[in-house]
Amino acid sequence: MRYALFLGCLIPVKYPGFESSTRAVAEALGIELVDMPFSCCPAPTLIKLVHYPSWLALAARNLALAEQEGLDILTLCNGCTNTLKEANLVLKNEAALRKNVNDLLRPYAKEFKGEIRVRHLLDVLCEDVGLEALRKQARKKYGFRIACHYGCHFYRPPRIMYPDRLSPSKSLVPTQMEEILSAAGLTTVQYSRRLLCCGSALGTKVDLEAANEITREKLFHMAERRAEAIAVACPSCFEQFDRGQMMINRKHDLDYAMPVLFISQLLGLVLDVDWKRLGFDQNRVKVETLLGG
Amino acid sequence: MKSHFDEQLLYECYECARCTGSCPAALAVEGFNPRNYLLTCLRMGLDAVVSDEKLWCCTTCHVCEDRCPQMLDVTDLLMSLMNEAARRGFIPDKVRAGSQMVLHTGRVVLVSKRASEMREKLGLGPLPEIPVEEVEGILEKTGLAGLLG
Amino acid sequence: MGKRPKPAGISGPPGRSASGESLRIGVYVCHCGLNIDGSLDCQEVARFASTLDGVVLAKDSMYTCSNSGQEMIKADIREQGLNRVVVASCTPRLHEPTFRAACAEAGLNPYLFEMANIREHCSWVHLHDRKAATEKAKDLVKMAVARARLLEPQVETQVPITPKALVVGGGVAGIQASLDLAESGYQVYLVEKEASIGGRMAQIDKTFPTMDCSICILAPKMSEVGRHPKIELMTLSEVESVDGYIGNFRVRVRRRPRYVSRECTYCGDCAKECPQHAPNEFDCGLSTRKAIYSPFAQAVPATYLIDMNLCLNKHGIVACDRCLQACQHKCIDFSQKEEFLDLEVGTIIVCTGSDVYDPSSLTELGYGRFPNVITSLEFERLINAGGPTAGNLIRPSDKKVPRTVAFLQCIGSRSKRSNPYCSNICCMNTIKDALLIREHWPETKIYVFYIDIRAFGKGFEDLLQRARREGIVFIRGIPGEIIQDERTGNLKLIGENTLLSKLYQYEVDLAILSVGIEPRKDSAVVKRLLSLPSMADGFFMEAHPKLRPVDTPTGGIFLAGCAEGPKDIKDSVTQASAAASRANILMSKGKVTVEAITARIDPDLCTGCAACSRVCPYGAILVDPERKRAQVVEAACAGCGTCAPECRFGAIRMRHFSDLQILAQIDALAETAARRKILAFCCNWCSYAGADFSGVSRMQYPTEVRIVRTMCSGRVDPLFVEHAFSKGIAAVLVSGCHPGDCHYINANLQTEKRVQRLWKKMTRLGLDKDRLRLAWISAAEGLKFAREIQALQAVVAALSDEEIEKGIRAFSEKGQAA
Repeated sequence: MRYALFLGCLIPVKYPGFESSTRAVAEALGIELVDMPFSCCPAPTLIKLVHYPSWLALAARNLALAEQEGLDILTLCNGCTNTLKEANLVLKNEAALRKNVNDLLRPYAKEFKGEIRVRHLLDVLCEDVGLEALRKQARKKYGFRIACHYGCHFYRPPRIMYPDRLSPSKSLVPTQMEEILSAAGLTTVQYSRRLLCCGSALGTKVDLEAANEITREKLFHMAERRAEAIAVACPSCFEQFDRGQMMINRKHDLDYAMPVLFISQLLGLVLDVDWKRLGFDQNRVKVETLLGG
Repeated sequence: MKSHFDEQLLYECYECARCTGSCPAALAVEGFNPRNYLLTCLRMGLDAVVSDEKLWCCTTCHVCEDRCPQMLDVTDLLMSLMNEAARRGFIPDKVRAGSQMVLHTGRVVLVSKRASEMREKLGLGPLPEIPVEEVEGILEKTGLAGLLG
Repeated sequence: MGKRPKPAGISGPPGRSASGESLRIGVYVCHCGLNIDGSLDCQEVARFASTLDGVVLAKDSMYTCSNSGQEMIKADIREQGLNRVVVASCTPRLHEPTFRAACAEAGLNPYLFEMANIREHCSWVHLHDRKAATEKAKDLVKMAVARARLLEPQVETQVPITPKALVVGGGVAGIQASLDLAESGYQVYLVEKEASIGGRMAQIDKTFPTMDCSICILAPKMSEVGRHPKIELMTLSEVESVDGYIGNFRVRVRRRPRYVSRECTYCGDCAKECPQHAPNEFDCGLSTRKAIYSPFAQAVPATYLIDMNLCLNKHGIVACDRCLQACQHKCIDFSQKEEFLDLEVGTIIVCTGSDVYDPSSLTELGYGRFPNVITSLEFERLINAGGPTAGNLIRPSDKKVPRTVAFLQCIGSRSKRSNPYCSNICCMNTIKDALLIREHWPETKIYVFYIDIRAFGKGFEDLLQRARREGIVFIRGIPGEIIQDERTGNLKLIGENTLLSKLYQYEVDLAILSVGIEPRKDSAVVKRLLSLPSMADGFFMEAHPKLRPVDTPTGGIFLAGCAEGPKDIKDSVTQASAAASRANILMSKGKVTVEAITARIDPDLCTGCAACSRVCPYGAILVDPERKRAQVVEAACAGCGTCAPECRFGAIRMRHFSDLQILAQIDALAETAARRKILAFCCNWCSYAGADFSGVSRMQYPTEVRIVRTMCSGRVDPLFVEHAFSKGIAAVLVSGCHPGDCHYINANLQTEKRVQRLWKKMTRLGLDKDRLRLAWISAAEGLKFAREIQALQAVVAALSDEEIEKGIRAFSEKGQAA
């Protein structure tokens, strides 16, 4: 299990705790992570909306980098996953676009060939590490109730993100997070509008207050089911639920107190890795209250 | 370079409104309405939609596509419209700033001293170097630099 | 496949018919108003026809199929002594019978008539190239005249029809069809898969627009079926196999055992004692039944049955004898076995009915997760006095009467994610249901979320207006999502009101999904057994959507009810009576005429090798090993022609579709500019009809193609293809029904084998095998046909002269026919 680690922009700069907890969890599970000079993926919510061909070219550069080493890419952010998987698929299938992109990359001694896959950490954990292995490695138990938020870019549209699970008659409903956390001995809860967007992209592009309205809808339903914590698999979703929770509490005089934990932070807890590497300092909604029980 | 949608297919929309009914941005932003954008495009051409700044409120969550009975790529349509808006010179400030940051630094966020401090405390190495000239070079050739002005 | 001495067929001396008389061919080119003349020059085509050998008369007329047109032809036959007639107009699938009848009336054998399809296959598909369309029409007329020269008079044999009918399916359509036929005096076998007849109509509560009680109006008909002396009702029965042909079907029916005899008085004492429970299918799982049960109170036959999967007794061992003890009349019999019954019938009516769409796939609506989201059929059972709640509208979670109810329309219909068609009845069903709720629970608020309301029938619009007046709220915009309030079980519907362009959130107690209708899942079995074509949506296809709505393309087999497409009770009953009438027409004649297109074997050439017999889908060729002769059983022969190409000795002559006739058509086509032409063999039932459909839909495709019709793709002899290439024709398309859908059961399997062999041969000879294409095209696939021609045209455009020459040399050297 050896992957090119794609950190994206937000994690190494703003939330390095996700990086360190991922590295710690990887060590515990026997996953080897290789670093490469990747650039911004680029985000599907910024450059892609301004100029599609530029987005495709930059994504191709990142894919070509990993291809050079013959490694699949492991992503930690929904946005990166979405961008890289889509670019990978589009370039594999459309010769004209591939040619254009390779013309751009050639001066930098890079070429997209379509030889690698892009996998989100959740899929690597579910499929490559396996739920059994997680069950065996779990060291500590926690009883807090977790609401899982997949976000959107993780699995939509299914024809790009999970083409082999595609069924026109049935919408794809993701379950990897619940499966992983259950295997790790944690408790997950279902809640209404589980598949609703967190709103992050609206905030980064236009209007943070409006984005928070979406987040508020999610928090409402999570709280309705007495969730005590929120699990995310993306730093943008994290920020929206973490910083957003504080902002929403202040604006509407509410008292939501559901700490937001990145998937590798949660696993790090269960696998009992070095506490310092979990980086909970950066969590604005404090995690400590959870961990008593 | 790539046409996101086949215009003929848009005619298949029968205004069931499952898209707008599921849309998070429609929930948060008065006047943001994917169904309406699609219909306006068809009936009145894309000029009316492209100049609407609320268009950029789309979170690209793709739930509209997921639920559309005619399997229309609604998100792709909105993305194409935003591309067109950008071509005509309209890009929201934050989007322009974010894109420029990628163009010049290869990252979408500003690197601060605090970042290095946090990393050190966690036992992580320094931030990876990004070959900025390469990124800039590619994005100049694709035309992004010109577009952003 | 080796060489054959010469192609089969009869011809006379040049310019004369087989019987030696001098040919006097009349050609009529139809304008069909502007349908044909609008895209090509009919007068020019007629002028051209007059230059052909044997043609003594060539006219163009406005509407040749009209009375005056037919009279003109008849007059010309009598006065001008015509002995062959060619009409260049629409598809023979439409008017060949019309013109054949006209010829017969004028004293000319109807098999001396030929049609050239210059409408569906020419004027309609080449709307924008008058010159090329005219040239093509001329070619098609030339081919028709070439065939006409070689046509011989034929006599049709008559076959007796068994005056008995099989009706498959005992819903209201099957019930009506059975009663109509039985009343007309025919013996009817009604085969029903379930334990009782009644179908969907027995499940619903009221009917629209009259608000009649459904089972109340159905039950008398069901009883009538049960006691009618001419109807043999077989329940728990399915069709196992079907052999034969129109008027003479042999059907094997498998009847599952009931384990309860006819002496059952329906008292129900047994069920009271039975310890086993299972969900009641009739109530959509909303109530339970026992292992020994009756499907519903008004069941016909009124006899209980035992579900052996649920019963504690297995393998003939009686471990639990409670029902045996309870039954006063001793009518329970665990020793009953499955039976097979062999029936002989003249006609079959397929009434297999419908299932409803399962909305669990639409995960955003919560069906299956939220107890208060139900389907419209489940609602019918809830509101039905005979249902699980004795007609009280209570919601599943807490058994309370809902204060607000929402109906969601178009669930599982009009969608590429489920069924693309509109299910016809859901709008009216909802309006009816809403009015029922309003009637009994006037305090309950009712919302209907719709996209379009389809209230097209008699009394429908009135019912809709009444619903609006009663305060039922119609909101245009289907909810994107349904979420549940955990504490109350209430549902929140989130969506957009498109007429106000505003988002809504409605909280309701009960949400009813108006689910669409699908063909019954097991109708696929019936489809296969009867070789019936169906559309992509799974409903059976009718012979012609407007003019033959209850006929199937197979003679003697008819359709009625939802098996043909979603429809309400009135339309099902109408179709059922129509189908019964069609069957009646057939059976009342007492005999059916067999079209004179059957195979004839020349005993002098036949060596008894039995190659033909092995490929006949009907087993219609019998081989006498002693006398080394094969003989065709005329009545069983369907005329597909699959046997003829198998014969290495040229002993099989297909009447009316002989080798010589087909080769003459190819020669006519190849006379001019062969290297730019595509020859397409199309089978009468599927691909020719598919090409017709392209025409009807005005799909445009390249003008290079010329179609030769055979009854079946199995008729296409590889020698025809080789002959075409030897004449320099650029490309050949062999097309037929989809595998599994062949009108002649499985003849197209031979087609595939022969084309594969041809490809191998072409590759061996160094020829471009893309010049020969094989395509399976159904009658509904007009677009596919157009695309095939477009693909072939690209091949033709890229062909070099050298390649054409190579083909000419390769197949001429072999000394092939003519």
